[in-house]
Amino acid sequence: MTDITKEPENSTNKQGYWASVARDGKKMGFWFILPTIILLLFIVIFPLFMQLYLSVTWWTPLEGIPWYRAWEVFSWGDNYVYQFTDERVWGALWRTILIMVVAVPAQFFLGMSLAYLFMDNFPGRKIFYSIMLTPMMIVPAVVGLMFYLLFQGTGPINVHLGLPTTFSWLTDVNRAMISVIIADVWQWTPLMFLILLAGMLGVPSDQLMAAKLLGGSNWQNFLKIILPRMKAVIIIALVLRAVECFKIFDLVYIMTKGGPGVQTETISVFLYKMTFGEFEWSYVAALGLTILFVLSILAAKGLAYIAKKDG
Amino acid sequence: MKVSPSSLVLKYFFVLFASAIVLYPLIWMVTMAFKPYPEWTTVAGLTWLPKNPTWQNFEFIFFGEAKGLVVSLDRTITGPFIASLVTSICGTIIAVVAGTLSSYACVRFGLAKTLPLSVLQLRLFPPLAVMIPVMVMWAFLGAVDTWWGLSLIYGIVTLPFAFWLMKTFFDEVPIEIEDAARVAGCSYWRVFYRITLPIVKPGLATCALFVFILNWSDYLLALLLTQKDWVTLPVYMATLTSAMGGQMYGMKAALGVIAAIPPVVFGLMIQKHLVRGLTFGALKQ
Repeated sequence: MTDITKEPENSTNKQGYWASVARDGKKMGFWFILPTIILLLFIVIFPLFMQLYLSVTWWTPLEGIPWYRAWEVFSWGDNYVYQFTDERVWGALWRTILIMVVAVPAQFFLGMSLAYLFMDNFPGRKIFYSIMLTPMMIVPAVVGLMFYLLFQGTGPINVHLGLPTTFSWLTDVNRAMISVIIADVWQWTPLMFLILLAGMLGVPSDQLMAAKLLGGSNWQNFLKIILPRMKAVIIIALVLRAVECFKIFDLVYIMTKGGPGVQTETISVFLYKMTFGEFEWSYVAALGLTILFVLSILAAKGLAYIAKKDG
Repeated sequence: MKVSPSSLVLKYFFVLFASAIVLYPLIWMVTMAFKPYPEWTTVAGLTWLPKNPTWQNFEFIFFGEAKGLVVSLDRTITGPFIASLVTSICGTIIAVVAGTLSSYACVRFGLAKTLPLSVLQLRLFPPLAVMIPVMVMWAFLGAVDTWWGLSLIYGIVTLPFAFWLMKTFFDEVPIEIEDAARVAGCSYWRVFYRITLPIVKPGLATCALFVFILNWSDYLLALLLTQKDWVTLPVYMATLTSAMGGQMYGMKAALGVIAAIPPVVFGLMIQKHLVRGLTFGALKQ
């Protein structure tokens, strides 16, 4: 975990000859860093101001006035006020959080159990390991398609469960969400598995051995030896998945298009529909900035918390 | 460590069960790609292996029409496939070049101490929350629906991965080797180009494959920034039904199989480094 929070170390030894080397290196380093800086400025600074500007207007690309003349339709903070009373925004937010609090823990427990199974060697481990990793390497849009095919009324799932072909999953108010969550868990449990297994294998084996010799049961060893040493890994895995889960779009959009109605509309799907269905670009800009703001605060708080625990 | 036979049996039971769940949707899609129309649904009974295997679906997406099908297609897979390939490769080049150079500067020269975190922040936000100005900019630059417009955005959004992944590889290069070359009179560029880069070559390859997978897997950005000429595979796959009106499960499945193959192959190739890449170098295997 420390890698993220620690600042990059200046690994050059600063004495005598090497001090001058370090100084020259800095000049050289500037050219090394330039492409990244240009890309970052290009995608961060200018767009940010443009987004701020558009968010306080009524501008949409349909009205025929270019974006830089958007001040003609100035709206003050109406977009910002409106977003807090917009039920679709709140609905989308709760649904996104619902997916997060169901899918991420599910992935965690499944991933942890799988990792425990793969902890020591057994014949065929390598092949099974590769099979386990496959889902997360498949294009998310294709995963969406796969589950779209499975959850059709005439698909195989209904046959296995002995349900009639009229029993719908993706067009049903409650089951649409369940289908999406199942697809997400299927695709991303392998990621949890991969990260947690790496952490589990990092637990010193002599400690485990010692605990075993002293007569600890498997469950005790897991709770007392393995789990405490995996804390950082667990935090990384959970944070990573939570962040990605908040952005969920491909799966949902391909499986249900946010439907039926708005039943599976997540934040990203809502923003997409506003962008291309209704062309409310200034509203999306305002909402986007709000999301940016909130997430930045959360990230800063989180990093500060981790840094405090580490230090 | 001795493992009792009963626990081994139990282990295999769980592992096989998990494998079955993992393979279940995959097999359904792959076999679907080889099934003719009547077997697409389970109305006539559930069949796992196609009763009358056919290349019809692949024929249809490659040539726009197939024997025994009345419908035809005005856009075949060729365009989207090339678009996916070109934009993914160009995006990968941008990300890997910029990421490698800047991470090296961060590691060796201790420059730009806030850069690692600000780069990381790019991955935090939902892309849609920040895409409005990008779309306006792209329209203004004439970059919408061009190969370079999409490549550029791919390069930017995958830069954080390239940066952090390369950073971990550079961290492992002992400073002594570079110092020795410096003493021998090598310039900075030569040290980097002749000494360090060859050492991290395997890492560089891993990084490129990893970033390529990410670019190839994108759906959202292509959906936002392309319309017709440079539509990528996932977008093309998703629009296949809406264009034809009817359900084209078999063709979509065939497309899905084709789109899924490169990332899975590359992913299994770099299996060892996946953890490192996916956790931005916070964890190594």
